Amino acid sequence: MSEVRFHGRGGQGVVTTSKILANAFARTGQFGASFPMFGFERRGAPVTAFGRFSDKPVREKTQIYYPDVLVVLDPSQQNSDAVFQGLLPDGMMLLNSSEKEVDVSHENLKKLGVVDANKIALEEIGLPIPNTVIAGAFAKLTGLLDIEPVANALEDYFEGSKLEGNIVCAKRGFEEVALYEF
Amino acid sequence: MNTKAKERSQIKVITGNAAAAIGAKLARPDVVAAYPITPQTEVIEQISSFHASGEMDCELITVEGENSAMNAVMAASLAGGRVFTASSSWGLVFMYDAILATAGARAPVVMVNVNRETPGIIAVSSGQQDMISTRDSGWIFLIAENCQEVLDLVLQAYRLAEDYDIQVPVMVHYDGFYLSYLSEVVDVPFQEDVDQFLSVLKDQPQRTTLKPGKKLGCGSHGILGGYLELRHKHVTAMERSKAKFDQIDKEYEEIFGRSYGGQIEKYKMDDADVVLVGSGSMCGTIKSVIDEKREQGIKIGLLKMRMYRPFPSEKMIAALKGKKAIGVVDRSLNFGFKGGPIYTELKSFESKLEGAKLVSFIDGIANTDITKENVGKMIDMTGDLANGKDVQEVTWVSYPEAQGGI
Amino acid sequence: MTEKKKAKLTPVLDYLKHEDPFAKGVAFCPGCGLELLLRFIPQVMGNDIVITGTPSCSAPVLLGQNNQSWHKLSYFGTLMTGAAANATGLARYYKKAGIDNTVVCFNGDGTAADIGFGNLSGAAERNEPFIYICYDNEGYMNTGVQKSGTTPYGATTTTTPFGAASKGKNLRRMNLALKMAMHKIPYAATATLSDLGDLAKKLLKAKEMKEKGFCFLHVFAPCPTGWGAAPDNTIEICRRAVKTNYFPLWEAENGKIRMTKTIKKPKPVKTYTELMKKFKFMDEEDHKILQDDVDYEYCILGGLSVLEAECQLPLPADE
Repeated sequence: MSEVRFHGRGGQGVVTTSKILANAFARTGQFGASFPMFGFERRGAPVTAFGRFSDKPVREKTQIYYPDVLVVLDPSQQNSDAVFQGLLPDGMMLLNSSEKEVDVSHENLKKLGVVDANKIALEEIGLPIPNTVIAGAFAKLTGLLDIEPVANALEDYFEGSKLEGNIVCAKRGFEEVALYEF
Repeated sequence: MNTKAKERSQIKVITGNAAAAIGAKLARPDVVAAYPITPQTEVIEQISSFHASGEMDCELITVEGENSAMNAVMAASLAGGRVFTASSSWGLVFMYDAILATAGARAPVVMVNVNRETPGIIAVSSGQQDMISTRDSGWIFLIAENCQEVLDLVLQAYRLAEDYDIQVPVMVHYDGFYLSYLSEVVDVPFQEDVDQFLSVLKDQPQRTTLKPGKKLGCGSHGILGGYLELRHKHVTAMERSKAKFDQIDKEYEEIFGRSYGGQIEKYKMDDADVVLVGSGSMCGTIKSVIDEKREQGIKIGLLKMRMYRPFPSEKMIAALKGKKAIGVVDRSLNFGFKGGPIYTELKSFESKLEGAKLVSFIDGIANTDITKENVGKMIDMTGDLANGKDVQEVTWVSYPEAQGGI
Repeated sequence: MTEKKKAKLTPVLDYLKHEDPFAKGVAFCPGCGLELLLRFIPQVMGNDIVITGTPSCSAPVLLGQNNQSWHKLSYFGTLMTGAAANATGLARYYKKAGIDNTVVCFNGDGTAADIGFGNLSGAAERNEPFIYICYDNEGYMNTGVQKSGTTPYGATTTTTPFGAASKGKNLRRMNLALKMAMHKIPYAATATLSDLGDLAKKLLKAKEMKEKGFCFLHVFAPCPTGWGAAPDNTIEICRRAVKTNYFPLWEAENGKIRMTKTIKKPKPVKTYTELMKKFKFMDEEDHKILQDDVDYEYCILGGLSVLEAECQLPLPADE
């Protein structure tokens, strides 16, 4: 089972990112569970969400304290202690950033993926909502999924031209994410 | 849970709230009353959207408060309709007088309650205290562990509530936040299968309903002998509901391939020396910890309460008697008692448990997370009790300041 | 002989087309305005109404609480807190099931104006398809005469008693009917027992208008026991309430008010209060306050009833 923690801000589609991934796992016959950290949700406020992805039914109903993977949609949180808290050895991180060279380090961080999701989203859907780009990049970084189930999962959350645009976002996220190993 | 492979399925990744709304839609209610409250709001939003799209052909009453929600569905139910509503926490207690009246009138209302803490006013957080505050209302209470079970229980609730031999309202409880907002894999039943499952009710005698010109009164409660007769029938109907629920669980399995065991679900109980008793979403976490502990050779099992009212005492005694120690996990308080509510109730059957010792754990209130570490602690303490060590009667697991007893 | 009898029938009796579904000797006090109203409604509207009742003076009869004389109507006994929501549930289910229905939600002023006002207002806002009738005896009479929101200024009740520091209720009553009309429901009206023809017309109008949605009738129904009045004065009290403009008769369609009876020379309100002991501690000053309140409310009604014809939209401030 892979335990993933998502960090972002209200309006970025943080919770939806984890839902899309749970949906994508379900489409491969696997199991996924996604839920937000509880609190009043407001646009702009920090948001944390959790995802558990597994080939067996996910039974745990607790928050994730020891993640395998960190997904950071809000670059301003990239080096915060709260983000890295509990990261397990050989951990991975996916970061939404426009920086050419990102300054991220943690003793347990083994693999890093960086993608300029806001830019791609602006180009494809005209809005700086990075979540679908991130979902595609997640598949590439972790290797747990192919891009097809991620793209297919989007049909449960979008329709029409928005769906088409977001499918392109996911695919570009998959293709354009830069991977680094430590 | 035994999962029988079905030839066809509709796998969706949905929240517990969506599962409740879809369950309600599949039951084809005549009247739905809706009022929002966190963490239930998504249920009525989904139903409103089904109604707006024409997928759901019901009278949707967007009431001005929860009290009216319960009053409206009670009356519609007594008039002959199938009804649904949903609430949580303060909303549930705001409808309390109508909840009692609904039970008193034996109106077969089905609702979901998304458990949330009271009595903290702005305790927008998990906890089963709302369920405890309403447990003596004369309703049947069922509790779901995951999103799939939310949906399945809503459908089973209609079979139970509207059964001619029962006619008691049913409330399906599921944990706010932990299930309400959890998106997970749910196998959504096909409408025709649900229609078949519920069609049994059509073959039963028609219950008495209030129709214009029928010269019939309802909701009236005599002061004299008739009242005792009504209440005694109410109590005996609730007793009957236990076996009925077990039977409905089996029939559900025949159609949908999912069975949960009826009143209680037993997880690795057969050879267990030590047992945790739990309910709701915590049970998933407990099962996962049990698997880890069993790898270390600890014989631990879980008794999951799926039916809380009526209290499934016979099934629980049969499953628990002769065990060495039992830890009861309550996500709520029992004001006036030290131990949690389910602990206190089970304690009253202690003499029938053939020497099994009981301890109370209180955890998961106000969004304190029932973590795997906490569950491990509870298992260890219950194990200590089984091994004859001195263990305090009540432990607030996430509040070490309370250690040393109350 | 039969011919002669028929010729003597008043127009009011012509409205009584249906059987009185209530048994004789029901458990009301002598001179009860509520009893007259309750027997009158089904005789005018038909015995196939579904009536809802709450714990109140109507309960012993409507709900058969005392195992005494009863009635033959379909009824729904419920709580004061949610009566309008119960009626909503009934009417909506009948609508869904395609069953013709006239649901009458029958409540006292305690339910309508106080504890159940929230759901009454909610049902009106949603334009639910039923008729709400409030019988207003200006207090909680079944529990032994306590003050309600419609108890008038100066009236003594057991919770506004006379004492060294009190002469009775020192607050003015709320105008429930006007509040309901302002919900812009298809039909709202006031009525009382001295004007039975007017009441009958309004009942029939409500039955017709409920096809368009929510209808509200506010019926002034004296309580001789609670008000300290002679049982044979009930109708006279109603008559004087109308003639003093203490209880004006009007109706409103979609919020547009029309007087159904106008009093050319209204009598002083004292000619009304003098019939009841509940007002006996009022002095001249108190009477002036009550009279001012009556005049003020009538003025508002009169203003609203002519407003439609004369009203222009407010001009922008700079013109």
